[in-house]
Amino acid sequence: MSRRPPRGEYIETDTGNKVARKATLVGTQNIMLGGKTVIQPEVMIRGDLVRSVPSSSSSASAPGSNTAVAIGRYCFLSRGCCLRPPGRLYKGAFTYMPLRMGDHVFVGSQSVVQAASVGSHVHIGAKVVVGEFAIIKDYVRILDGSIVPPNMVIPSFSVVAGQPARVIGEVPEGGHEAFELRDLYKTVGNNPQPAAPS
Amino acid sequence: MAPLTPYTYIQCPCSDPSNLSYSRASDSGSPIDGNPGFDDEEHTFDPRAPRSNYSLYPLEYLLYCEDCHQIRCPRCIAEEIATFYCPSCLFEVPSSNLKSEGNRCTRSCFQCPICIGPLSVTSFETQPDPNLLAAPDHAAAPHSGPYALNCSYCHWSSAEIGIKFDKSNGIHGQLAKLRNGGTTRLTAKERKERRKDILQSGGGGGGTAPGASGDTGNDQQAIDMETQFTNLKSFYQGQLSESTSGGNGLSSLGDLGFASPTSLSRIMSIYTGGSLHDKKSKSRVGSMREALDPNEGLIVADLDESAAIEKLHSEGIDGTVDTEQLLNQPPYLGEPHLHGRSRFGSELRPIPYLLRTKRSKRCPVCRHIISKPEAKIQTTRFRIRLIAGNYVPSITIRPLNLNDNNGAAGTPLPPTAPLPDTLQPLKPAHFLLIFKNPIFEGVKISLATPAKTPGRFASKVTVLCPQFEIDANTDVWDEALKDDGARRRGAGGGRKGDERPGSTQGQQRAEAGKIWERGRNWVSIVVEVVPASLRLDTLPTEGPEGEKVDMSPLKEDEDVLEIPIFVRVEWEVDAVGDDLGSSLASSRDKEAKEKRELAYWCVLGLGRVSQA
Ligand SMILES: [Zn+2]
Ligand SMILES: [Zn+2]
Ligand SMILES: [Zn+2]
Ligand SMILES: [Zn+2]
Repeated sequence: MSRRPPRGEYIETDTGNKVARKATLVGTQNIMLGGKTVIQPEVMIRGDLVRSVPSSSSSASAPGSNTAVAIGRYCFLSRGCCLRPPGRLYKGAFTYMPLRMGDHVFVGSQSVVQAASVGSHVHIGAKVVVGEFAIIKDYVRILDGSIVPPNMVIPSFSVVAGQPARVIGEVPEGGHEAFELRDLYKTVGNNPQPAAPS
Repeated sequence: MAPLTPYTYIQCPCSDPSNLSYSRASDSGSPIDGNPGFDDEEHTFDPRAPRSNYSLYPLEYLLYCEDCHQIRCPRCIAEEIATFYCPSCLFEVPSSNLKSEGNRCTRSCFQCPICIGPLSVTSFETQPDPNLLAAPDHAAAPHSGPYALNCSYCHWSSAEIGIKFDKSNGIHGQLAKLRNGGTTRLTAKERKERRKDILQSGGGGGGTAPGASGDTGNDQQAIDMETQFTNLKSFYQGQLSESTSGGNGLSSLGDLGFASPTSLSRIMSIYTGGSLHDKKSKSRVGSMREALDPNEGLIVADLDESAAIEKLHSEGIDGTVDTEQLLNQPPYLGEPHLHGRSRFGSELRPIPYLLRTKRSKRCPVCRHIISKPEAKIQTTRFRIRLIAGNYVPSITIRPLNLNDNNGAAGTPLPPTAPLPDTLQPLKPAHFLLIFKNPIFEGVKISLATPAKTPGRFASKVTVLCPQFEIDANTDVWDEALKDDGARRRGAGGGRKGDERPGSTQGQQRAEAGKIWERGRNWVSIVVEVVPASLRLDTLPTEGPEGEKVDMSPLKEDEDVLEIPIFVRVEWEVDAVGDDLGSSLASSRDKEAKEKRELAYWCVLGLGRVSQA
């Protein structure tokens, strides 16, 4: 509390998001934050890479349909990571598809995520590359330095590592609580609180 | 060397057989009487013993049986498969399909044989085409074949092994009929008809699959494993039926040979799922001849490897496969035959995904279910999940800075601070052990450690406060209400002098018999270690009983300072609505309180000792 800078390092929104002033959010109108999400400095979110081909059900006029990146609650985007919607040829034309992320997703520093969807309670380590259109289900732990190939599906309760990434283990029953990011959320921001004693 | 993150591993009681019998006794009698802890204290648990590898687990991996009041680990629990599913398409596979289709996904889910990345079906038409990009009107044009399986990681394509598909669906079925190189393979029905033809035509040099005519190989190579198996099977069936007639009453030793009908029908019932087993076989005697030509299933080993050598010359080592790639290959019955199989990358095949399972877990002693996931694949909920972390106190280790003379002295390093690289030998180091109580009763903890760690390089260990009590894990709402106030106090950079019993002038000194700090449901204590020197010349020349001392160089991880510590947790519970054994105990106890106890070894890994 003593040496708080005159202007906070973070912008704290009404819904409890803590967005670093030094983060780069491109196309903010296409980025949805669920609340209580931390975005650290040097993070980049490419909201500008929005779907260019209307979806098949021609619901392009519906509000919110041009969301490029949707992030749930209590996500933590570490310094220097990048969220980028995946893109591909669709019926002959190149288009981006939205990147959807659930709650309690941790993205380690300097990781690049181009998944189609990331479930809830997912831990992505540092320097990880998640390839385009990968689907990561709930309770998945991706270890540091992994490269998840494009289109890979990672089922729930997988521990994944390697280049290319493969399932190397299972998350044990007692390991579910470790994915909770509520406590981590409190430790950053303009008024950070120390971590719990244990 | 990478710095070591401090760890706590707990030993499951199943590593000691007497503990399992203790648990059994507790079912019938009082759990307090049969105390396993006292026996255990007689011998010190050695975390470096080869056996210990198999009994030490982080707390998250342990379950807890509420009926036995005991820790259970992945090694002793009994598993039951609830659901089979494909890890790629996430479809459930009914167990009836497993018998007929095997344990791999039969949809279009394949892994790359080179890098095991996922393969996706792509049309040859989808190559980036600038005209298409410019004019999206073409988009409506549907893809047409041929299709191939492509790896998006290493860009391997099934076209490299000559496999292309006419349709984009049912890849598994199409692949089963295709050999590498694109030649088709006989289906079971076609093979049967072919056999008939060959038999009718006198069985000359037949057996060549029609699609394989382009191959340079001889007749034998054209017979794939499945064909050979069918040939052998029908040959032996014929032999068996012939031998039935020729019974001469002699049995005994002749029956045990390879050529005896009894052995043969037994072996065949193994390989054909019991369908060939018939009761008459017992009475069969005599011997039979073996297969003599390819139509009867005989394949002469092809020892001529000149083609393989030639290929090795032209393709080099890069064209060959490694052991891991070979091991990942599923058995493929369409292979020509076993000799010289899969030496080259061109012989590899896409790997259908192995199925994965959801499993429930039972206590090995009382057979109660202690973990049970919902059977549906898309849900991550559990019906039952008795994890040890809800019953056993967790132990967190944090390095403590006591010797520093600047203002930071006496403050534990924050969890985010970089860990000291190594421990200095012969220099006392301090660690905070934070015990957190997960249960809703207060617990009494007693700790015991050997004064010196087991192993060649014995470090000195002192637990400054081996006995203490931790308050109950109070209601979550109480915590939420108190949370703000407690956090505020802690916000000032760790200056919480008033909370520390042993504090003087804001700084704190570690005192024997006193805890370091206390919170709602946690207590921290100090442990002092004096790491041993890792130099071999400091070892005594003789052991205490005159035996020779191991003077071999430092072994792997021998520099890690590990402390075995025996933890005993005691608490009292209301004896209401409990099992038979506890009601006996409560009748003696007037306050209707039942004493509970849990005792186990754990090992604390503190860090690496510097080898300077
Ligand atoms: Zn066990
Ligand atoms: Zn599948
Ligand atoms: Zn590959
Ligand atoms: Zn049990």
